[in-house]
Amino acid sequence: MFWKRQVPLAIVFIVGVLTLFGWFITHDTIRSFIEDDATQWYDVIASFAVILGALNLLKLQGQKVLRRKKDWQYSVLTILGFLLAFFAGFMFRGGHHITITNVGFSPEEVAQVISDKTNVEYEKILGGLKELPEGDEETLDKSYMRMSKAVTLAEELRQAGAEVNIRTEKWGSHLLSEGTLFKWMFDNVFTPLLATMFALLAFFVASASYRAFRIRNFEATLLLGAGIILMLGRVPIGSTISTWFVAYILVLILGIVIGSLLKNRIIALISIIGGLLLVTIAGTLSGWPIDKPAFLYLPKIQEWIYLYPNIAGMRAVMIGIALGMVGTSLRVILGIEKSFMGEK
Amino acid sequence: MSKIIDIILKLGKVDRRIIFLIIAIAVLIPLLNPIGLPVKPTSGTQQVFDAIEALPEGSKIMVSFDYDPASKPEMHPIGIAVLNHVFRKNLKVYIPCLWPAGPFMAQDALKLAGTDEMGKVYGEDYVLLGFRPGNEAVVKGIASNISYLYTIDVYNTLIDEIPMMEGIRNLKDFDFLFTVSTGWPGTVEWLQYGSDPTGVPIASGNTSIQVNEVIPYVNSGQMVGIIAGMPGAAEYETLLGRKGTGRAGMDAQSIAHLVIVLFIIFGNVTYYIERKRAKKTF
Repeated sequence: MFWKRQVPLAIVFIVGVLTLFGWFITHDTIRSFIEDDATQWYDVIASFAVILGALNLLKLQGQKVLRRKKDWQYSVLTILGFLLAFFAGFMFRGGHHITITNVGFSPEEVAQVISDKTNVEYEKILGGLKELPEGDEETLDKSYMRMSKAVTLAEELRQAGAEVNIRTEKWGSHLLSEGTLFKWMFDNVFTPLLATMFALLAFFVASASYRAFRIRNFEATLLLGAGIILMLGRVPIGSTISTWFVAYILVLILGIVIGSLLKNRIIALISIIGGLLLVTIAGTLSGWPIDKPAFLYLPKIQEWIYLYPNIAGMRAVMIGIALGMVGTSLRVILGIEKSFMGEK
Repeated sequence: MSKIIDIILKLGKVDRRIIFLIIAIAVLIPLLNPIGLPVKPTSGTQQVFDAIEALPEGSKIMVSFDYDPASKPEMHPIGIAVLNHVFRKNLKVYIPCLWPAGPFMAQDALKLAGTDEMGKVYGEDYVLLGFRPGNEAVVKGIASNISYLYTIDVYNTLIDEIPMMEGIRNLKDFDFLFTVSTGWPGTVEWLQYGSDPTGVPIASGNTSIQVNEVIPYVNSGQMVGIIAGMPGAAEYETLLGRKGTGRAGMDAQSIAHLVIVLFIIFGNVTYYIERKRAKKTF
C-alpha cells in the first residue's frame, strides 16, 4: 500500500510544488529543473505512453474479438491495420533508389531503358544524363518498394552500359520517403480516409442546420442571425452583397416584428413602405455604394461579431476553465484528487 | 394559395439525402467552373502578412505544422502560402511538429510552396525537425533547449551536422513563430509555453472553427494576427499575388454557404407555416 499510494502521492506533491513555486523563485537549480529536467521527463514518459497506448489498443480490441462482443469485426480490422502499420514502420522499408554514376558510351540506350520503365520523356532523361558531370551521380525520381524490381532495372541499365548502384532509404527517414510502404499507406489509405471523414461534415452541417436552426425563441433567433451573418460574411460572396440589400431585408424583418407585436397589419404595412422609401432615398442620395454604411456590410458585421460578443464570451469561458484548472491542480498536488491512481 | 403552401410543406420534409446531393452539386460545380469571386484581405490576414513582410532577409522563423490530413483542405493552403512568402523573403525556416502527421503535411507543403523552383537547399534554407511526442512539453522544450529535444531531424541527420542549426539554442534565437494549427496541441500551447515566456512574436493559421478560441489572444496583443481558415488562406494568396488552392476553394465554399443559408431560410418558412396551421387546428 505504501508503494502504491503514499509514494505516488509524495512524488506528485513534491514535483507539483516545485513546478508551481519554481515560477516565483529565482533559483538556478529549481529553474533548470522546471525548464529542462521536468520537461525532458515528460517527453520520455510521453514516448513510453505511446508504447503503452499501442499495447492497450491491442489488448482491448483483442478481448473484443476473443469474446465476440458487439461489432467485433471492426476490431479485427483495427488489429490488422495496426499490424500492417507496424510492419511498414519497423520491418519492411521499401524505398530502393537507383543511382547512376556513369552512363558509359551509350547515354541514348540508358535513357531509353529509363524512359520505358518510368514513363518519363526520353528527351528529358537524355538531357539530364548528358549533363551529368564526371564523378557525379544521378538518382532516378522513381523509387521501388520491392528490391527485386530495383535489381531488374539496375541489371537492364548495366547491360545498356551504365554504372549503377542501388541505395535503400535509411530506417527512420523511410517514413517520409517516396516508394516506401509506410509513405504509400499514408498517402493512399490514411489521407483519403481522414479527408473523407472530415468532408462528410459539410453534408451533416447542411442537413442539421436545415432542421435545427429554427426561430423558436429570442435566443435561437439571435443564434440564427449571427450564424447567417458569419456564414455569408466570412466568404467572398458576402462582400458582393450590397449594404442596401441588407437594409431592405432589415426593413422587412422590422415590419414583421412590428406586425406581430402590435397585431395591426396597417401599421406594419406603413412601417414597411416608409422604411423602403427611406432606404431608397438614402441609397439614391449616396450613390448606392456596396460597402456603405459599414454597419450594414456583412464582412464588417461578421468581424464585429468575432471581435466583440465572441471575444467576450470566449474570455469568460477561458477564465472559467483556468480557474477550474487551478482548483483541480491544487486538489491533485494536495492529494485530495486521486483519480489518476485509479481511486475515487 | 393552399396548394403552394402544401408544396412548400412537402419540400420541407425533403429526405436528407436530397440535401446531401444539392450540397455536393453546390460544391462541385464551382470547383469545376470557378466563378472568380473577389477576395478582399481582412485585417487579421493583413497583419500576419505585414509582420512577415517586415522581417529582414535571413531572419529565422519557426513554422510549426500541427494538423493532419483531416483538416488538410483547410490548413494546407495556409501552410503553403506562408512558406511561399517566407522563401520569397529569403528567411530561414525551421519546422517542428506537435502532431504525428505533421511532418507529412510539412514535407508536402514545402514541395508545393516551391522550394525547388526557388532553389532552396535543405539544411541551409529550411529544416524539417519533425514530430516529438509530449504536446505542451515539446513547446516548452523548444523554448528552453532545442538540442535536448531534437538530436536528429526527420531524415535521420544529426542536428549538429545541419548548417542552419548552428548557433540555435532555443526559441529566443528566432525572430518569428508561426503555427499552422487545427486544435490541441497547437496555437494556444505555442503561445502559452513558447511565445509568451520568450517574447518571440507569434501568428497563426487556424481552422475557421478554432478562430473563436484563438482570437482573444490577438485582441489582447499577445498574437500578431490569425489567418482564419480557407478564406484566410485565399486572402493571403491574394496578398502574395499567387493562385493557390485557397482561392480555388473559396468559390465552392461561398456557394456552399449560400446554399446552407437558403436551406435555413426555407426550413424556417416551413416551420412558420406548420406552427400557424397547428395553432389554427387547436
